[in-house]
Amino acid sequence: MDILSSVLLSGVVLGSLYALMATGLALVWTTLGIFNFAHGIFIALGAYVAWQFGTEEGFGLGATIGIVAAVSLLAALGCLIERTLVRPFLGHRNLVLAVVITTLAALIFLENSALLVWGPRFKQLPPLVDGTLAIGGLDIAAHEVLIVLLSPALLLALWAFLRLTYMGAALRAVSQNQDAALMVGIPVPVLFALAFGISAALAAIAGVLLGSIRFITPAMGNEPLVKALIVAIFGGLGSISGTIGGAYVIGMLEAVCVYFIGLYWTPAALFLCMILVLLVRPQGLFGRVD
Amino acid sequence: MRDLLREELPLALPVLLLLALVPFVATESYIRHLFIIAMVYAIVASNWDLSLGYGGIFNFAHLSFFGVGAYTSAILSKTLEITPWLSVPASAFTAMAAAALVCLPVLRLQGIYIILVTFAFAQLVLQLILSQSDITGGSRGMVLLPPLEIGDINFARDGKFGYYFVALGLLAVSTLTMRWLVRSAFGRGVIAMRDDPDYAAARGLSVARQRLMTMILSAAFTGVAGGFYATYLRVASTKVFEFGILSLVLSMLLVGGINTVYGPIVAAFALTFLTEFMVDLGPWRFLIIAALMVLVLLVYPGGLWSIFTSLAPKRKSRRR
Repeated sequence: MDILSSVLLSGVVLGSLYALMATGLALVWTTLGIFNFAHGIFIALGAYVAWQFGTEEGFGLGATIGIVAAVSLLAALGCLIERTLVRPFLGHRNLVLAVVITTLAALIFLENSALLVWGPRFKQLPPLVDGTLAIGGLDIAAHEVLIVLLSPALLLALWAFLRLTYMGAALRAVSQNQDAALMVGIPVPVLFALAFGISAALAAIAGVLLGSIRFITPAMGNEPLVKALIVAIFGGLGSISGTIGGAYVIGMLEAVCVYFIGLYWTPAALFLCMILVLLVRPQGLFGRVD
Repeated sequence: MRDLLREELPLALPVLLLLALVPFVATESYIRHLFIIAMVYAIVASNWDLSLGYGGIFNFAHLSFFGVGAYTSAILSKTLEITPWLSVPASAFTAMAAAALVCLPVLRLQGIYIILVTFAFAQLVLQLILSQSDITGGSRGMVLLPPLEIGDINFARDGKFGYYFVALGLLAVSTLTMRWLVRSAFGRGVIAMRDDPDYAAARGLSVARQRLMTMILSAAFTGVAGGFYATYLRVASTKVFEFGILSLVLSMLLVGGINTVYGPIVAAFALTFLTEFMVDLGPWRFLIIAALMVLVLLVYPGGLWSIFTSLAPKRKSRRR
């Protein structure tokens, strides 16, 4: 396989996964103005639930049921966390800090719960689709093709939802001006829960996709979460399209770095890039000053 | 300074004396060990309060100052064979230098971006330590660091008696300094900068310089605590950069109550002992602690310290 195209392919795969995670983070950030540290555990829980429902060692109901269960349960969990750990603190003087600590608490709680329920042994999901595809003289695992196609499709659907539906417009209204949104009769609390639910559902899908590439552990979401953080900064928090662009830039950058300077120095290089971008453009690479 | 001594010493001094009596009552070195660890956390959390609470700077690199301190002392005392009595205080300077460095990209940023950049900085420091394994021991860390000694007394072999008083002394000096700082003219400037940066700037405060000073000052005792921690445990490892410790100290800060200095200290003791007493429960203890953290924040949004202040009789002087 041609080296350059394999580097490019792994960049696009990584970028697609980061896009799913970072978009969820950015959605919560723009709507509620808070940062959800429990986002990483959503990824792990999504993979665990899909494993539990879908695989033979679990309930053995098949991959489709597994994914549906993962997405719906995680969306419900997202709403629950919003209701119990975020909403009581809205209007708190130190809102951002208080929510940092409550979502950190949620992370600790859920991570250890996963450990209690599923035990320390590593698990893995079977690939959603088997086999390889020959595209342009390259043999590509069908699962990777699925990741590359599914993620933009989902994000496109999210974009369409935000742009074309009433709920989407209401969500954007809430992120622009909460008080005004409330005044025109938009049920702001419902939309907060909605943003959290969508964000968690996206994380669950990322977890299902990641769960067949890597092992499922309670901490499997931490490293991608840090990357998603970089992506969110890179693209400029607050713009969904910027975040998606940032995800592919970072995925590509990571793949190139791993190839040229090694796995060891790659995180340092990414962090350095991020700090440099913020020095020049504090609003992010694709962000606008508001 | 005089106001500070008159208003806060009557409460702080008895607590200090009580803590000084502990090693005479608790002869078990395990109990002393818990107190020492709690005091180290108390220093780190209460100093973080200066930048995160009073300064309003969402600085998530604080634990990396602690780590820089630990490694500074380790390298000075083990590799360069300087006495730990000098290497531990020297940690203050490298930690302050690290704080100045992380401050440079932060000066122009706001809010959540500061969290992300400082978080990234901490990761960078970690990567640097891991990659320079010739100097730092890489992922294995540095072990068998030389202990503190006075004459023939080796602090590593006296049942943690000597270390207890070194830690207590550090905590006392650090707390006094922090309380003095936040009540000084400088501290009022820091608070003004947090509450209304535009107005503070209009009154002639340089926001950039204030931030820089706040970060550097909050790093000094944190670095010393890191140097002491490494010398006491005789290990410097990358464990101090782990997310778990960051969230533990952060929860001490918020559960204790920000903008108080005292609150994080109380919470440091409470959480250290609570975690230790539930050690048999395995993962369950983390579930309990996480639930307790949220519960405290729900019931007392100002943190545990607000219970004390709401009980105390109202004074004429304004609280800061």
